[in-house]
Amino acid sequence: MEPSDGTIVRRVLDGDVEQYRFLVERYRSRFGRYALAVVGDRDAAQDAMQEAFIRAFDALASCRNPDRFGAWFFRILANQCRNVVARRRDVVDLEVADPAGDERADAALDRSELAATLEAALARLTPEQREAFVMKHVDGRSYEEMAELLGVGTDALKMRVYRARDTLRELLGGLR
Amino acid sequence: MTDRRAFGPGTQRYLDGEPFGELPADERAAADRLAALASSYGARLEPVDAALDEAVMAAVRRRGAVPVRRGAWQWLVSSHRVPVRPVWVAALAAAAALVVWLAPRGPAAPRGAALAAAATPDTVFVRFELVAPGARTVSVAGSFNGWRVDALPMVRGAAGIWSVTVALPVGEHRYDFVVDRTRWVPDPTAHSQVGDGFGGMNSVIIVGPKGLVRS
Repeated sequence: MEPSDGTIVRRVLDGDVEQYRFLVERYRSRFGRYALAVVGDRDAAQDAMQEAFIRAFDALASCRNPDRFGAWFFRILANQCRNVVARRRDVVDLEVADPAGDERADAALDRSELAATLEAALARLTPEQREAFVMKHVDGRSYEEMAELLGVGTDALKMRVYRARDTLRELLGGLR
Repeated sequence: MTDRRAFGPGTQRYLDGEPFGELPADERAAADRLAALASSYGARLEPVDAALDEAVMAAVRRRGAVPVRRGAWQWLVSSHRVPVRPVWVAALAAAAALVVWLAPRGPAAPRGAALAAAATPDTVFVRFELVAPGARTVSVAGSFNGWRVDALPMVRGAAGIWSVTVALPVGEHRYDFVVDRTRWVPDPTAHSQVGDGFGGMNSVIIVGPKGLVRS
């Protein structure tokens, strides 16, 4: 049986820093897809995740509830991802395909192409909407889980997801 | 051509997996298509490389142990600079940072920033910074100046870094940066953000006695 987050955190704080690897492995796999989907770039997502883990280690003494390390770490990771997205938007003029206006719209796009189109459309959402949409539809989390991780009320999260869906519908040519 | 139709409440509930009434066929098809797209997109995401673990652990080993919690002074003298996105001006590559220096109760003027007000025994100097090379004007509006856009203009420095130093009373204050007099930008590095009641966010800074600041 794997040790709990709280047990690992306490061991690390007691000086056994190698134990931190268990937390890294656990939450790299648990939140990795979130980081990739929110940041939209593999290298940048990995950088954000690495930085988040190091920041979490540096601040571990301030983790008030070690048994809830995951939620605490997620907020650090979410901030890192938001910063990456914000930084990229400063310098990149993002374009999104308009399938309805594209000659290929009438042709059958394969799933990979469509998924790539969704990725481009996701980049047009606000960071909050993208984050909420990814957590809901890519990670498959409940609103309650999302609220727990983000520290935001379920009503506000629903609104973000609803708006994200509406925007994506518009960007993706009505999803016809 | 784009479809500007929004999903109706029933369709939104359907997408949430909640009970719903009868949906029009085209609405249901659009909802299913969006869900399928998201699913396909998620399936394409490869797991984060396990090499990340070793990179993190290498950094951890270099530290040797979890650092002792930093004192307020160490926090104050370190810079926190994070980009922000001013969405309405393409040329504006923005990054924000706040509170990198203060001089408790002292009369000495901080270097490189406009000194907006003199300190008194119940105030401390706090410096605000915003990196916004494309901005024409930047100011700080907050609870300490009546949220007036023009009350605390920042001065543009090298590399588009705008800064201002102000003596703030001890206590909790809320603020935003105001870019080009129209765009209110919360400080993403602030430890606390609160809703402004209008759908936006305000940053929070807490000025304590003896010059302790937390934002």
